[in-house]
Amino acid sequence: MQKADRQTQQQIADLVRACASYWELRGIAREHITEMQLELEQHLQQAASDGKSLEAVLGPHPAAFAEAWAREMRPRVLRGGARVLRGLVYALSVVSTSALLSQLLAHSPAFTFTLFAAYLLACSGLLALLLQLSGFLAPRISTRSGREALLLAGIVLAVLLLRLAGVTVNWSRALLTWSWPVTIVLLVLAAVLFSLDSWHTFHKARATLTFAGFPALRTVTVFVASVGVFDLLLFAGSVAVIDFCRLALRLM
Amino acid sequence: METRSTQLLKGTLDMCLLATIAQRPCYGYELVQQLAQQGLDLVSEGSIYPLLSRLQQHGYIEGYLVASRDGPSRKYYRLLPAGTKQLERWQAEWEAFARAVERILKGAHSDAKS
Repeated sequence: MQKADRQTQQQIADLVRACASYWELRGIAREHITEMQLELEQHLQQAASDGKSLEAVLGPHPAAFAEAWAREMRPRVLRGGARVLRGLVYALSVVSTSALLSQLLAHSPAFTFTLFAAYLLACSGLLALLLQLSGFLAPRISTRSGREALLLAGIVLAVLLLRLAGVTVNWSRALLTWSWPVTIVLLVLAAVLFSLDSWHTFHKARATLTFAGFPALRTVTVFVASVGVFDLLLFAGSVAVIDFCRLALRLM
Repeated sequence: METRSTQLLKGTLDMCLLATIAQRPCYGYELVQQLAQQGLDLVSEGSIYPLLSRLQQHGYIEGYLVASRDGPSRKYYRLLPAGTKQLERWQAEWEAFARAVERILKGAHSDAKS
């Protein structure tokens, strides 16, 4: 039995990851997902070694395959909501820490949550989800960079279409403004929710026999670092967009 | 468009899987190979997995992990007593159905001759 080449291995890994993300969103139990992933990956590897295409295993629509299997696994809506909740905890962490930083740096008693910040958060969440599910395109677009380029092109096209349709947005428009106590409450809430989620994930991982181990310290470090990077992005992006809007107004 | 054999296989795949597992415990890819050896080529091999899960949920088969020297464990399926009974029922149903179709086809054939 020959081993599949590197690109096929990557396609298989992306495809399996996309299926697993979809099953998690559909609310299938973690221990079942682990087994399903294992079975699917082994089948795809063996099929690729025998010279079969990925389509021969999953058909022309891998997402339809993932859904068909999910339906037979007694999915629960609440379980799927846990993943959405994780995204919300992340968004709350970004908002509360960026409020703290901007209030500290600007010595300001209040923080303004702009339309741009809300847009950036929503788009990032959507993009992260789409990137995880982009593995479904693996049988048709073999490289990961090709799939990411397609996603990006889709987003640019959507923005251009909105622009052509005459949609103009005041990005610096204030959606919400709050003072120090609210920032502190939001920070505490984000920390509590993150701890609860980590504790829940840790206990789930311990209960699953097939799970090798839960890297708690790594999870916390990655979370804090990614929130920090996002804060920087949000801050730099806001400054750039607001400056651009001011410049555009002056030129008009 | 789906061929007739694809449609027929869709309606009987769960029974074929159960019958194959009844012969000896198998893992997913092995099942596909066994079906192919008998002349049943699946349009998409992965379609067996939702059915295997359904058979498992009904308590006809059970999955179990077998440790492997070369890599991660592999999931095998074996028949359960409820599966044996269900297979007998499906087999009887299928035989009655196939006999009826055969009678009709033979009748049509003899009508055409006369």
